[in-house]
Amino acid sequence: MTEPLLLVQDLCFAYRQGAGGDAPAVGAISFALAPGEIVCILGPSGCGKTTLLNLIAGLLQPTSGSIHFRLEERTRARIGYIFQQDVLLPWRTVRSNLMLANDLRKSTIDQKALDQYLRTFHLETSILDRYPSQLSGGMRQRVGIIQALMFDPEILLLDEPFSALDFYTKLRLESEFHSLARSSRKGTLLVTHDIDEAIAMGDRVLLMDRGGKMAKEIAIDLGEGDISPDKARGHESFSGYYNEIFSHLEEAMAL
Amino acid sequence: MKSHIHTHAHPRTHSPCGAGTGYDSASDSDYRIAPWLYLLPLVVVVIAWHFYTLGSSDRQFIFSSPEKVVQAFVRLASSGELVKNSLITLEEAIAGFALGTTTGAAIGLSLWYSRAVARVSRPYISALGSIPIFSLAPMIITWFGIGLWSKIMLAFLSTVVVAIVQSYQGAVSVEPRYLRFMAVVGASRSQVFRYIVVPSSLIWVVNAMKLNIGLALLGAFIGEFISAEAGLGYMIVKASGLYDMATVLVGVFTLMVIALILSACVEALERRILSRMSWKS
Repeated sequence: MTEPLLLVQDLCFAYRQGAGGDAPAVGAISFALAPGEIVCILGPSGCGKTTLLNLIAGLLQPTSGSIHFRLEERTRARIGYIFQQDVLLPWRTVRSNLMLANDLRKSTIDQKALDQYLRTFHLETSILDRYPSQLSGGMRQRVGIIQALMFDPEILLLDEPFSALDFYTKLRLESEFHSLARSSRKGTLLVTHDIDEAIAMGDRVLLMDRGGKMAKEIAIDLGEGDISPDKARGHESFSGYYNEIFSHLEEAMAL
Repeated sequence: MKSHIHTHAHPRTHSPCGAGTGYDSASDSDYRIAPWLYLLPLVVVVIAWHFYTLGSSDRQFIFSSPEKVVQAFVRLASSGELVKNSLITLEEAIAGFALGTTTGAAIGLSLWYSRAVARVSRPYISALGSIPIFSLAPMIITWFGIGLWSKIMLAFLSTVVVAIVQSYQGAVSVEPRYLRFMAVVGASRSQVFRYIVVPSSLIWVVNAMKLNIGLALLGAFIGEFISAEAGLGYMIVKASGLYDMATVLVGVFTLMVIALILSACVEALERRILSRMSWKS
């Protein structure tokens, strides 16, 4: 069996609320993430999906439970966190934003990797001299993903990165990202509200309920090896998974 | 009635808020006003002033008149006195402004490093900021003499607090997503300061500069007003002692022009920074 990149065991977290007691946000979550695997996290608003990503990213300290990277308990792994809103620095050009990893590490830019990422995400080299505000939403999100990839992360955490994009840009970006995650063998945790996206992108879908607990884990098996998200949407099993997840979310919302 | 205010075609002009409501922040810089409109209030005031003082020696003694002010200006300009005094005041104000703004910005930004130090410093900074600079002038003149340095120090004290407060506010107003990103990639505190805090606070420092232009001139002027041998403040005090209202007004107008030129320089700098950072696009 492949050694997991990430192993989360009985992870709990509660926000401190002073005298009123603590507010549980994540409750006893356990799962593993293998190299090249995409795991999608679905759940109603406020169920602790982003908190879970923040815990894995080291932005929050768990109340209990453990997070292991490559079976070692480390305080920090090489993580790329892609937020809903990109973190491109407006005062730096695209090139300069993409070189941030090198600036921080005092290293030279990996031009080969950069060219490869630009090709993967269908971006022209001419955008390198532009400022983030001169890019469209889809371009910004692509550059944001490349910015995170330039740090050479083992694990990618994506917090609804495609939610603000128009439908066609979203489909295209999903497809580009899917092939990149597969080929680079990076583990991906994708938080989304979109059931379609979760089934089309994910190898597994983790469903969280309102208490921040993991309600169900669904393995997505479309039986045709590695199919792209747009083809997955047309697969005959797609609607079965959709109905299963939808009915579960409906229950979770009603609670 | 048709408005004299012309606007560029801008998508937000047609927003439900509409142009000119004051709610559309992007539209403000896009308004273009006919150049002569800028001069209109000045022309109205000068004409009113001219007719109010016309033929009345009492009124001319108290308020002077546009003609007398022009005569005084020509006299002072041709003798070189105006240029000499203006340059002295300008030197004092610019030196105090540069010293106060850079020191204040450095202190304000550095306070980001320690919330404890920032908290402890807050009452001291507030106290320093609330002291009327006029009350410090005699002490500063005693310490630094009646020459250039006392005026520079007064301009410095007038500007340093604004720069500290503005820069610190800029440093603590950094968008949290940038800080989260830097934490995830394992950036050190000094890297966060260098790559995030300083550049995103720059616009606050420029705002401090805009506010400090007038304050630096005021500081230098107060120093000259109390004790000096040259400068526009000295020229104004000397002329008011002689009830030479025209010279006083030439001094006042020259101070205004200097303030406007310096403000225009800072605004040009602001535009350059904004366009470089592409925040306005």
